[in-house]
Amino acid sequence: MKKIINRPETVVDEMCKGIVLAHPELVLSEKYKIIKRKRLNKDKVSLISGGGSGHEPAHAGYVGTGMLDAAVCGDVFASPSTIQIYNAILETRSNRGTLLIIKNYSGDCMNFDAASEMAEDEDIVVEKVYVNDDVAVKDSLYTIGRRGVAGTVFVHKIAGAAAEKGMDLSQVKAVAEKTIANVRSIGFAFTSCTVPAKGTPIFTLEEDEMEFGVGIHGEPGIVREKIVPADELAEKMVERIVKDIPYQQGDEVALLINGLGASPVQELYLLNNSVSNAIAKRGIKIYKTFVGNYMTSIDMAGASVTLLRLDQELKELLDEPSDTPAIKIW
Amino acid sequence: MEKLYASDIVKIIDLMAEVIIENEVYFCELDSAAGDGDFGMSLAKGFKILRSEWAGLSKEDTGLFLKDCGMIITENCGGASGPIWGSAFRSAGKYAEGKTEITLEEMSGLLQSAVDGIQKRGGAKLGDKTLLDALIPATESLKISAKEGEDILDAMKKSAREAVEGAEKTKLIVASKGRASYLGERSINMPDAGATAIGIIFTYIVNQFKR
Repeated sequence: MKKIINRPETVVDEMCKGIVLAHPELVLSEKYKIIKRKRLNKDKVSLISGGGSGHEPAHAGYVGTGMLDAAVCGDVFASPSTIQIYNAILETRSNRGTLLIIKNYSGDCMNFDAASEMAEDEDIVVEKVYVNDDVAVKDSLYTIGRRGVAGTVFVHKIAGAAAEKGMDLSQVKAVAEKTIANVRSIGFAFTSCTVPAKGTPIFTLEEDEMEFGVGIHGEPGIVREKIVPADELAEKMVERIVKDIPYQQGDEVALLINGLGASPVQELYLLNNSVSNAIAKRGIKIYKTFVGNYMTSIDMAGASVTLLRLDQELKELLDEPSDTPAIKIW
Repeated sequence: MEKLYASDIVKIIDLMAEVIIENEVYFCELDSAAGDGDFGMSLAKGFKILRSEWAGLSKEDTGLFLKDCGMIITENCGGASGPIWGSAFRSAGKYAEGKTEITLEEMSGLLQSAVDGIQKRGGAKLGDKTLLDALIPATESLKISAKEGEDILDAMKKSAREAVEGAEKTKLIVASKGRASYLGERSINMPDAGATAIGIIFTYIVNQFKR
């Protein structure tokens, strides 16, 4: 393992400190590893997200004007505890209620649900949404359902804009759910990631192999297969996504090309070119594009593609200003 | 032995912490096969802190003791382990409120409360390839032994064997909860990490426990 590190046990603490040193408009509650806005607005709906660490800049990078009020940081790839989340709800309490944006994983759901129950006992109104955009996972009544991956960033952006505009908790929740209903992602890995506490890669791929449909914690995907040229890869990914929601000619989307941590930005832009062609070929219009590392998997090489189908309301909210470490829109 | 005293329960939880901390890496490895490999670490983290706060815990009232353990576990175990193990302890603590000694029948009731606590939080049932596949047979075994009027230590040994067998059977199940569920059919032949851990923990406790 070759990492910029002191000790595996202190990785998350030291990273959190580094984040607030770089972004003095944010503040860290050290005990509960909550990164929140220094200046909170009591008269807007509070937005909280979080999850295991290792997905930086998610979620602390999305705390700020127009997006989240707080991010709760768990250990690497492990949900934050109920008590951490409960304290985040208390520390960002507003007069308009709180919305929790949860990625759909067993641990996260249990901890966020339990924390919201505790907060309700304190008469705080809490609503929750669960992001489940990964089309690689089969959705069925008998499983816990799809995973939440990079599409979560769009939920942060759109719900954040709605809250900043002064919408009610129910309205903010409604646009968050509309976003979730229209966002789909799929990823692939060229290499595994290495969790600091473990020190060795979670899985191994041969030089000419990729894991197609990989999750952001190195969970297995749909199939392990030979790598293919970028155009072919883009075609496969876009096909999976557009097959999942029925698209019509002229539909407009926001596109997110997300690096998983170790793929060069050069390759991400190249992938964007291939993906954009695959989308155009299907008569779908790209309204706005984001390319970069938004929801990573520590040091995994690979990327994910996210499409968010837009209507007028979502477009307007997407265009609203935001000022956070990882997304700045003026 | 006919009863367990509050000090016996304290000893049992101490043994539990010991075996969990000793098996931190092994439990992670079990979880790596199908899950994301954080189980051993997340669980051990909470029990290490439990031990560091050991001196300050009230140990006379079993209910209060288990509830306090549950709060520490809820706060400090990462991932899904915090809510699952935390609610098991808190629910068992509620059952044992005010008790300073426990009969075999009450022991089975205590474990049943732990099962109820886990089910309330996680929504899993028998056969979902979770720790309940070891914990439920272990509880049922205690209930039968209580009816038969068996010695409490013999009953605990039987119960541990049931837990190990239950864990073994999870190999045949396709996961439907937790991250292992993403594997679908590929999760066959891999035992559930949580159930296996319960088998190991119970076996260690019955082998090491001395008054």
